[in-house]
Amino acid sequence: MEPKIIAKEDVSTWLASLASKYEIIAPVTEDGVTRFKVIDDPSSINLESPAPANTSLREHFTPETEMLFEYELSGQAAEVTAPEAEVKDRLIFGARACDAAALRYVDAVYSNVEPVDTLYFNRREHTVIVGLFCNNPSWSCFCTEVGDFLTNPVGMDAYFTDIGDKLYAEALTPKGEELLSAPEFKPASEADAQAVQEVRKKALSSLPKPTDHAAASGSYDWDHPIWAKLAEKCLGCGVCAFLCPTCHCFDIQECPKGVRGSRFRCWDTCQFEKFTLMGAGHNPRPSKKERTRQRVFHKFKYSPERYGILGCVGCGRCIAACPVNIDIRQVVDKLETEKP
Amino acid sequence: MEQELRAKARELLESGQVKLVIGYEAGSVPFKCAPLFAETPEEADRLIWNPTCVNNLAVYLPEAVKRGKVAVVLKPCDVGSVVELIKEHQIKRDDVIAIVVGCPGVLGLDSLSEMDLGDIRSIEWRGDGIAVTTGSGEVVIPREKAFAGKCLSCEIGEPALADIKIGESPAREPVTDAYISLEEYEKMSPAERRAFWAKQFERCIRCYACRAVCPACYCSECFVDKAAQLWVSKSTDPTANWFFHMARAMHLAGRCIGCGECERVCPVRIQLSLLGKKVHVDVEDMFDYEPGTDPEALPVLGSFEAKDPDPCPE
Repeated sequence: MEPKIIAKEDVSTWLASLASKYEIIAPVTEDGVTRFKVIDDPSSINLESPAPANTSLREHFTPETEMLFEYELSGQAAEVTAPEAEVKDRLIFGARACDAAALRYVDAVYSNVEPVDTLYFNRREHTVIVGLFCNNPSWSCFCTEVGDFLTNPVGMDAYFTDIGDKLYAEALTPKGEELLSAPEFKPASEADAQAVQEVRKKALSSLPKPTDHAAASGSYDWDHPIWAKLAEKCLGCGVCAFLCPTCHCFDIQECPKGVRGSRFRCWDTCQFEKFTLMGAGHNPRPSKKERTRQRVFHKFKYSPERYGILGCVGCGRCIAACPVNIDIRQVVDKLETEKP
Repeated sequence: MEQELRAKARELLESGQVKLVIGYEAGSVPFKCAPLFAETPEEADRLIWNPTCVNNLAVYLPEAVKRGKVAVVLKPCDVGSVVELIKEHQIKRDDVIAIVVGCPGVLGLDSLSEMDLGDIRSIEWRGDGIAVTTGSGEVVIPREKAFAGKCLSCEIGEPALADIKIGESPAREPVTDAYISLEEYEKMSPAERRAFWAKQFERCIRCYACRAVCPACYCSECFVDKAAQLWVSKSTDPTANWFFHMARAMHLAGRCIGCGECERVCPVRIQLSLLGKKVHVDVEDMFDYEPGTDPEALPVLGSFEAKDPDPCPE
C-alpha cells in the first residue's frame, strides 16, 4: 500500500469511527505522568506526548494483576472456573517503536516452551498497534544502539510520523492496510515523504550509533569489579524492571477466603531479594551484586543466546527512573571496554 | 564548598579515621548525580556538591557501618534520618562521621522541565536560584522553579547533629504555600480525602521504590513480603494498594523526617510526601513530638508517657 497522510485534526474523527469496533488505548498525561490508557474521548489524545511514555505497554498485555482462576472447595472436590477469555479488540494508538519491538521479544519468551501463555497471546491477537515515530527522543533514549526498529519498525501494524499539521502513515501489515483505507487518509505526496526524511534525520542525529552488544556479551565478565560497585549504590527498588517493556517475570499468589478463593499472577522482579528465595531457605542471588548482574546478563547475554534477540530495546526508562543513576549504557560500556 | 569537602574526605580516609566516605559524584549525565562510596583519597576527589545532589544517603548507613566507621555527606534535611537510625539502634553514633553541607536547595522533579536536557553541561547555585550552563549559553532559573518543594519550605536552622560542617545554609524565607499545603488538604472532608487517595493509589504499580529509598524502611522482612502470614495481597487491586500505603504511613508515623525521597522516586508520582506530612503534623499535635531532632529521645510510638492522648476519655 502506498503511504498516506491524515490531517491531525482528523485523527480524533478517525479514531471515533473505530470506537465501536475497538477499545482505543492511547497516551494520556495526568499529574506529569504519561501512561497508555483506555480512552473514551479520542480528542483527549496527546499527539505530543513524551517519547517514551513513563510506563510501557506491558500492562495491556500482562496486567499488573491478572486473575488466573477462581475456585470453590467442597470436601475433597474443587470447582475451578477460569475467567472469560478477553475478546475485546483493542487499538493501541501512538505506541513507540521501542515498546512495539519489546512485544516481539516477549512473544518469544512466552511461546518458548509448552504450555504457551494463552492469556498473553489472546490479548496480542486482539490488538492492533499503530506506532508513532519519535520526533523528539528523550535524553535517555538509546534504541538505535540496540536495534534499527525506530526506522524499520517491528511489532506494529502501521507507523505514523508527525510532519507538522499531518501524520504520515505507513501500513505494515494487512490489518494496518485495513485501517489506512479509512476515508480520513489521503495519498501522501513527494513533499510529505521529504518532510518525513527531515524529521527522521533530526531525531536520529541525537541518538547513538548501533553497537553489537549481543556479540560483545559473549565475553562479559561474571566477576567484573563493576558488580560490587553497582551493588553498593543499587537500592533494589525494582523500578527499572517495573518500567521495562521487555521485563515479563511474575509471581503467582493466592487470595483464599475460606472455601473460596482465587489464584492470580502479578508482576515480580529479579531485583527483589525474595525473587529467588527457595522454600528451604537457600537464595542463589543473595545480594545486590548477584541481582544487578542478573539484570544486565539477562537483557544483553542470555536473551540473544536463547532467543536470538537482545532483551533490551533502548527505551531508557530504567536510566531515567533509577533513583541512584545506574545507567545501563555505562554498565554495558564498562563491561565491553574495561577488561581487568 | 566542593574543594573543602574533598579535602576533608581525603583527610578522613588518609588518617584511617573512616573506612568509607559516602557522598555524591557526577552522574552519567550533567543534571544527575550518583552516590559515591569512596574508599581511597583518590576516589574522594570525585566528590561533588551541587544542586543535583538530591539523594538522601542515610539509606546506605545500616549496611555501610558493617564495613567500619563511615563518613557520610548529609544535607541538613538528611540529618534527621541519621538521628532516627541512631535512636532506633540501627547504627551507633560513633559509627558515623556526619559531614553536613550548607544547602541552598536541590533540584525538584520539574525544575528542568523547560530545558532541553540533552543540551545541559552543568548546574550550579547562583544568586538564590541556579545557573544552568548549556551548549548554547547560560540559563538562570529562579528559586521557585529551581528547587524541590521541600527546599522552598525548608525551616531547618542548626542541624541536629554534625561532626563536620562544610559551608552554611543561606538564611531564607520559606515559601510556605509552595509545597505541601495542608491547609487545602485539611479542608477536605473524610469522604473527599478517601476519594483523593483512592485516585492516587489507583496508579500504584507496587514497585516498592518508595520503601527501598526510605532510610526509615530498614526492616529485614517488610510486612508486604510476608507471604506465609499474608498481611496484604500482592495484587494491585485498590484495596491492596490502599493497605500498603496506609500501613507504611503508619509504620513511619513519628519516624519520617520529610526528606521527600519517596515522592522523588515514585515512577507514577503519587503524592507520598503529603501523606507523610499529614501523619507528621498529627503526631506533633497528639504527642508534641518531632522526629529527627534528638537522638536521645525515645521513639514516640515505642514509648508511653502519662501525657499521651487518651482515646477513651472517662
